[in-house]
Amino acid sequence: MSREGLTRRDVLKLAGVGGAVAAVLSGCGPMAKYVRRRPYVEQPEYALPGKSVYFATTCRECPAGCGLVVRTVEGRAIKVEGNPNHPLNRGSTCARAQAALQGLYNPDRARGPKVRGGKAITWEEGIDAVARALQDTPPEGIVFLLGLAPDHLAELVYEITQALGAPPPIRFGALAMVEARQTLAAAAEAVFGQKAVPTFDIAKADLVISFGANFLETWLSPVAYAKAYGAMRQGHPGRRGVFVQIEPRMSMTGANADLWLPAKPGTEGLVALALGRLMAEVAGVEAPEPFAQVDPAQVAQAAEVPLEKLEKVARYAVQDVERVVALPGGVVLGYENGVEVAQAILALNGLLERLGKPSLVYFTPPAGGREPLAPATYKELMDLVDRMNAGQVKALFIHGVNPVYEFPKVLGFEEALLKVPLVISFASFDDETVPYAHYHLPDHTFLESWGYQRVQVGADREVLSGFQPVVVPVFDTRATADVLLAAVQKVGGALAEQVPYKNEVEFIQKQVAEFQKRNDGIYQAAHPKVFWALFLQHGGWWTQEATATPAQAQVPTVQVGEAKFDRGELHLVVFPHPILADGASANNPWLQETPDPTTTVMWNTWVEVHPETAAQMGLENDDLVLIDSPYGAIFASVYVYPGIRPDTIAIPMGQGHTALGRWAKNRGANPIDLLGFGVNGAGDAAFGQVRVTVRKMGRRQVLARKENTVGVYGDGRYQPVDKRKEEEEKVTSTQE
Amino acid sequence: MAGEEHTKWVMVIDLDRCTGCNACVTACAMENNVAFAGEEENAYGRGMHWIRLVRYWEGEYPEVQMRTMPMMCQQCSNAPCEPVCPVFATLHSEAEELNIQVYNRCIGTRYCANNCPYIARTFNWFDYEWPEPMNYYLNPDVTVRRRGIMEKCTFCIQRIRRAQEEARLEGRPVRDGEVQPACAQACPTDAIVFGNWQDPHSKVRQLAESQRGFKFLEELGTEPKVIYLSSQRHEF
Amino acid sequence: MHSETPLPAELHGQVEELRKEHLLIDVRPREEMNRMVLEAMEDTSREWKWAMAFLGLVTVVTLFGAWAYLMSTGMGLAGIRRPIFWGLFIVSFVFWIGISHAGTFVSAILRVFKAEFRRPFTRAAELMTTFALMGAGLYPLIHLGRTWRFYWMVPYPNQRWLWPNFRSPLVWDFFAINTYLIGSTLYLYLPLIPDLAMARDKSTGWRKKLYTILSLGWRGTEEEWRHLTKAIQIFAWAIIPVMFSVHTIVSWDFAVAMKLGWHSTIFGPYFITGAILSGIAAVGSVLYLVRTTMKNMTYFIRPEHFDTLGKLLLIISMGWTYFFFNEFILEWYGGEHTVKEIIRFYTQGDIAPVWWLMVICNIFIPWAVLWNRNWRRKPWVMFLMGLIVNVGMYAERYVIVTGALSRNRIPFDWGWYQPSLVEISIAFGTFTLFLFMYGMASRLIPLIPVWEVEEGHHAHSLRKVGKTVVPSVADLE
Repeated sequence: MSREGLTRRDVLKLAGVGGAVAAVLSGCGPMAKYVRRRPYVEQPEYALPGKSVYFATTCRECPAGCGLVVRTVEGRAIKVEGNPNHPLNRGSTCARAQAALQGLYNPDRARGPKVRGGKAITWEEGIDAVARALQDTPPEGIVFLLGLAPDHLAELVYEITQALGAPPPIRFGALAMVEARQTLAAAAEAVFGQKAVPTFDIAKADLVISFGANFLETWLSPVAYAKAYGAMRQGHPGRRGVFVQIEPRMSMTGANADLWLPAKPGTEGLVALALGRLMAEVAGVEAPEPFAQVDPAQVAQAAEVPLEKLEKVARYAVQDVERVVALPGGVVLGYENGVEVAQAILALNGLLERLGKPSLVYFTPPAGGREPLAPATYKELMDLVDRMNAGQVKALFIHGVNPVYEFPKVLGFEEALLKVPLVISFASFDDETVPYAHYHLPDHTFLESWGYQRVQVGADREVLSGFQPVVVPVFDTRATADVLLAAVQKVGGALAEQVPYKNEVEFIQKQVAEFQKRNDGIYQAAHPKVFWALFLQHGGWWTQEATATPAQAQVPTVQVGEAKFDRGELHLVVFPHPILADGASANNPWLQETPDPTTTVMWNTWVEVHPETAAQMGLENDDLVLIDSPYGAIFASVYVYPGIRPDTIAIPMGQGHTALGRWAKNRGANPIDLLGFGVNGAGDAAFGQVRVTVRKMGRRQVLARKENTVGVYGDGRYQPVDKRKEEEEKVTSTQE
Repeated sequence: MAGEEHTKWVMVIDLDRCTGCNACVTACAMENNVAFAGEEENAYGRGMHWIRLVRYWEGEYPEVQMRTMPMMCQQCSNAPCEPVCPVFATLHSEAEELNIQVYNRCIGTRYCANNCPYIARTFNWFDYEWPEPMNYYLNPDVTVRRRGIMEKCTFCIQRIRRAQEEARLEGRPVRDGEVQPACAQACPTDAIVFGNWQDPHSKVRQLAESQRGFKFLEELGTEPKVIYLSSQRHEF
Repeated sequence: MHSETPLPAELHGQVEELRKEHLLIDVRPREEMNRMVLEAMEDTSREWKWAMAFLGLVTVVTLFGAWAYLMSTGMGLAGIRRPIFWGLFIVSFVFWIGISHAGTFVSAILRVFKAEFRRPFTRAAELMTTFALMGAGLYPLIHLGRTWRFYWMVPYPNQRWLWPNFRSPLVWDFFAINTYLIGSTLYLYLPLIPDLAMARDKSTGWRKKLYTILSLGWRGTEEEWRHLTKAIQIFAWAIIPVMFSVHTIVSWDFAVAMKLGWHSTIFGPYFITGAILSGIAAVGSVLYLVRTTMKNMTYFIRPEHFDTLGKLLLIISMGWTYFFFNEFILEWYGGEHTVKEIIRFYTQGDIAPVWWLMVICNIFIPWAVLWNRNWRRKPWVMFLMGLIVNVGMYAERYVIVTGALSRNRIPFDWGWYQPSLVEISIAFGTFTLFLFMYGMASRLIPLIPVWEVEEGHHAHSLRKVGKTVVPSVADLE
């Protein structure tokens, strides 16, 4: 610049530079809508150095939809906290939500779009590919395979498939598989007349009778249930809720029960009926139809459960307490007769109602009256594999699920994938499915994403839990909804008219705008922008008052029948890892390092074997064994587990990744590989009917435990009863 | 009352509510930049957990029962770890009545860890790493510890400080429930409650009056500031 | 010095008896002894050079190399883990502190009590004290997580106005060890002065220069002798409480802790007895090495010395057993749960082999062997006994340090310790360091205090004035 002042040339130069800076800083892509980048001198007023900024969002580690508040400092997410106002989790979180930041800032995340083989492409090319797929593929050949979260994407995809005339998206996941939601819904329909997953109000209960439901760990809405559990135990002064768990393997949930009854696998439905009959007898009424058909003494014998205990539970339920609830879940639903078992268990609620007890079951009202898209059944999944094998699937879009890892090997999904001409993965990580994808267009992790989740279970009111980005995307990832919408616009024509959203945020805003009309929400606003701001500020929308009403239970007629099992020596219980759940976040090192609650094992897969069974088979802690089912085989280390039936072994899910990242890869084994084809009446997987043989490999593979085997088992070895008793005395004496 | 001059921070853990879910363990690690050590180190007994769930099996199958007990630094008023440190790296803070671990001052004699009856202290055996960009989430309020020094639960003193500063700015005492350590905040069953003992209306004070209350290894004279409420069991 | 007075025949037997009793050696002229000692000192043979080169190299690699690796990587290279935060380093530390009691005990206590047999090997034992202390002094540094901050234990003025925590036994340790190191080094040096002067007078070249400096201009005047004997006397008395304090304070590292298995009121005397036991045993081993590897030493170090050491060892072993019995049996009798478990762990648990090794090496073998005079008089037997007892004492420290830590009041957190290669390497390296330093010193300073030996000769030769037998110097002291 000259001394005389600014010349015209200088002004032009400055304008050019300024314009370029403005263009760069404000961004030009679809993110420009919601990411505003400013120079340092012009910081947004909340972004003070050293001052924390909190963003409300929703957890997507499981589909429950707990509200989170994320603390950020200078643009970095520092800590995940629970949203204290969220009706689901009321400020609490589980371990998975806590470790979510390690997913966000994971060095093994996909860093940008690429094609098969790892060659990087631009987002333009990626969007072109999606557009071509939408345009050129016959609609019936397009399949969207989605996870159970987030709902906004499922709904957007649903709109796109409707506009295209393609089949609706298929939602599935390993967690959904073992939760058997369709089974629960089917049973609920028979008992409560509503085909949805019921919520059990254990917070108010004096007695909870749970059949295999691991509601304190991963089941449906674990934090909401844990919250309710705390309230049940000590939330009502002078009235402590009592909890009975009936399951073959002591889950963490079962470990907290006052009474744990290891009924023989497959007899849980009969035990429920026997319990019902005993209750009726105690009450002095005639047992209604399904309960009348069983003889409690015979059932107790068949189930290998002391009849006296059942009688005591029945007496307690009928005579001693007011509020009782019975809930089915877990492996109990995973038999071929799972629907009938679930009905028998739910029927107990109907019986108790007849005995004058209040109903403690309700259905969470869907937010905005709109049920989220239900997960597919195992049967539907098998149909999908058949269609893929038959070459009917031309373009497969995969988001939020990792089928190669999560689906049982016997389904042959991997082989079927090879027959699909175009596979597009939106995974945020380089997971097991990505190598099969022709395009990998990584989505943000949920802490960088927009969206919402319609809370389906656990809340007593309508809850639309909202996501918002708490940080700018760490890598060159892009919201899948944005990619799809960009592709839709590229395709243009009728499709673009029917799916008219410019971007993800506009779609979400349109959905959220529906709630602006409501006057029962926690906030009201006249202006859409204000409403939107309030939505973001609160981390969603929910009603002021609890609106769920207790569901009236019937006592349906049900024939429980006998559960069928595969051949094999031992029953197999495959359960979601209490910390890792289905293993989608297995690459978060602190999840790996958080000890399993019951075994305290970290970083690996173990197989739980009853002490006596172990002694018979010559197995000791940490012995490597081969677990062989008719459908597959895995290796795992033995954990001699005192809380499991002698005829049963149990293996947690969540490990056994062959990809996903440095902390998950080649670690442990995936028990899903042991599961077979069996389905129950609702079409869900009969994962409980698998039986296995266990073979000692003669090698040890030491499990990392928080407990010290020497202290708990005495020099690391299982000890005969009397010696262990001694140890226990010591334990209790030191504890008091 | 409850001015910051008269604070005695106390934690109440209701074992009847506690399910042993370990959410507190993860929450603590994420808040306090606790390093993850990996499988081999953990198998060798070198996990860095500041809080752990001590789990026992009781009884024989099928009457077997699991008992868990969250265990962390009990912030003893008469702490065995304090007098043995040669360099005052672990000492008592007069203001908060907490055991402070001064990372900068620690030279790693590990005597404090030997002398802790609660085995609450963990040692940095190596320099642990958070590979880029995982280090982004590290809490700027908490020092990242290097190898050779001792660390332990601090009752999330950085949160106490933050609440106190905010209260001071607003010219009011710290409210009950305003300070929540990461474990208490995360706890899904509200088993962990934190507060100021000096405030007669605080929740901890009320809970501690429960007949179920006990202090672990109290007979050693350590005067712990964690009060456990014993779990109950209905016998069928 | 005076030449010997001829003895009346009737007194000969009496004198012989006296000499035997006090282990006086057959008298040789001062010149002869000087020559013998200097010859041994200056014998830097090829074998010695090779041995020193080998020991030096091994020390550099196993001790300093491993230490550097440990420091640069982290304490995790050691085998310690929760809840056993102290391992082989502290074991070795206590062990070497124990060895360091040898010199003081032999030299100061036996000097104070005028045990004459000590004379030829006081210096050999004092050297052990100094070098063992140097070895021991390394361990508090090695075992620090941040060795480079060790000086924070030193009270020095700093801008933060922070002193060390005087309540901490580790600070007591720091002072005790330093006091002991300085005291014992001075105590080693004082009696050395006349011998250094002797060496100065007889040597040439660099040795002459070295001894000229070290002998501080000693001329052997009456005045100088008076001061020297006075100083030695003062030091001999003063170093004894220091010696007791050092191992007592080391025992307090454990005894003041709130740790079952450590928190024992008997630890002070128990540790001191153990230290003397291992010290005496080590003296036996080292004397054997000196006697067999150095020239002319069979003259100075004789079976009678080993015999007396053996007796001492037996008595101390019995004393140690008494404390051991008190320590374990009485705790067991108390019946406290955790103590019971600790004792179960010692006697039947994973550490039982080490515990039984301790019992066998410290009680059974010494008691079985040392009652026999013939065996006591065999130098190689005493060499082996020294090794065995020290293995036992190492095992004792291992059991106390790691065994007690393995068990605590929370069974969930019990543990079990195994030393790692790095730890073993460093522990081994201090042994070679000790041997290296000792080997070097044996060629640099006269290992036999010639003047003291001669003093002994004179002291116990009978003088007769007329018909009266005049009391000797030793009796008048």
